[in-house]
Amino acid sequence: MPGDRAAAVRIRKAIALVNAVADGAGDEDLTPTEIAEAIRDCLELREIEQGSNVRKYLGEALDATSDGMPADFVAMTLYAALGALGESWSED
Amino acid sequence: MALHRVHGLAGGAKLVTAAMPERLSASLVFMFGGGSRLEDERHAGVSHFIEHLFFKGTRRRPTSKEIADAIEGVGGFINASTDKELTAYWTRVPAEHVELGLDVLIDIVSNSKLAPADVERERSVILEELRMYQDQPQDLVQNLFEEIMWPDHPLGRDIAGTQQSVARLTRDDILEYADEHYRLPNLVIGAAGAFGEGEILEAVRGRLALAAEPDGQPIAMPPEPLRDPRVLMRRRKTEQAHICLGVRAFSYLHPDRYVLDLLNTVLGEGMSSRLFLNIRERLGLAYDVHSFTQKHRDTGLLGVYLGVDPKQAVGAVNAVVAELQNLCDHDLADEELVRAKEFTKGRLRLELESTNGVSFWLAYQELLIGSIKTIEEEVALVDAITAEDVRRVATDVLRAPIQMAVIGPFAKDLPFRTAVGA
Repeated sequence: MPGDRAAAVRIRKAIALVNAVADGAGDEDLTPTEIAEAIRDCLELREIEQGSNVRKYLGEALDATSDGMPADFVAMTLYAALGALGESWSED
Repeated sequence: MALHRVHGLAGGAKLVTAAMPERLSASLVFMFGGGSRLEDERHAGVSHFIEHLFFKGTRRRPTSKEIADAIEGVGGFINASTDKELTAYWTRVPAEHVELGLDVLIDIVSNSKLAPADVERERSVILEELRMYQDQPQDLVQNLFEEIMWPDHPLGRDIAGTQQSVARLTRDDILEYADEHYRLPNLVIGAAGAFGEGEILEAVRGRLALAAEPDGQPIAMPPEPLRDPRVLMRRRKTEQAHICLGVRAFSYLHPDRYVLDLLNTVLGEGMSSRLFLNIRERLGLAYDVHSFTQKHRDTGLLGVYLGVDPKQAVGAVNAVVAELQNLCDHDLADEELVRAKEFTKGRLRLELESTNGVSFWLAYQELLIGSIKTIEEEVALVDAITAEDVRRVATDVLRAPIQMAVIGPFAKDLPFRTAVGA
């Protein structure tokens, strides 16, 4: 099942963290460092090479997090990575 | 549709008529070659300015109210539009008032006062119109898209001009431009409806008080080729992201223009198109997603518009790019090809159901293409298209570098550039 793939699971987890920040309803202790760690977890998987631009989008999301870009922007880039992996948007 | 006839008029103007005796209306359009493509940067918007001013009053009908009353007094409609390569003035009236319709249109294009006070009043109106577009991201993104499709070229500018150019235009500029371009060799009159052909010819002959010499100004140079994909972004705090992306495509003179139109139908026209079914219905990414073409004398474009949740914007762009690639990689199924052909032919027939549609269709072809195809000829061209033709044209057009305009609450354009390889 494509939805069971580890990379998709990890990207969805990162999206959930970012969305929690974007919606203002997340854990107060959630920091950019934790989001960056979640994205790095995704980058460690070889599976991300299966989709064109997945690594690039994840790298951009990581840079955006480090640069203090708005959470919505980071989320958009992660959604793009998920889509580039061939995963649906609706399972997040 | 009724058979059309082309009549040469004194001075080089042309009249194209289509008698539709079963109708109750008559439609007339005065179509002038020109439009915003002829303008340099300083005069940007002058064609559109003149179009507005022609409704402000003539020597015989000194106010805009008298012009409107003449037509609306018999229940008719009158309006005008400026495009990049033409400007059109039109009216649709009950058939028994066709001579009145002609009289009013002749009056406004050849006897307008262009009074100094009207110029100043209309300048304020147009400046407000330009400000209005700034607040309408769907319109603004289209303008940005055209800017990136035809950079540093009149085709890439807003037809209405810029705040700066409209503020600077003088009445002398306007008079000079009108005198140069509102000339008989630049005019095609389209007429369709329930009237006698002789009646129209008689009503037009000798009454067009416009210069007969050609203006001598060639249409602007073709735009430079686009070498690389590019993204033009405007950061705005909008609830939706508004995106236009596309590629250079064919002119209205290109032999494959019908194939391109069919490809556009398959891609993004209507609720049974690929973009609608995949991007909206299956993925739920956009409320409005559609494709479109624009055709000019020596260039054109195939574009896609989408209004999406900002978080899904890049993902949606990737999905659109995948649809474009799919058109290059696979032949259309027979069923989809047949459906697209029937859609195209049906829309053409519906467009030509009204006298207004017929008058525009005839005048447009005669003015810009120089010859007129009948509806049967157009239908035969559509019927002849094969799945291989569509794939060939897709491969030809869609290998061009993608240009994209984006409006939304985005901090950077980098993910968008990645999506189109810019």
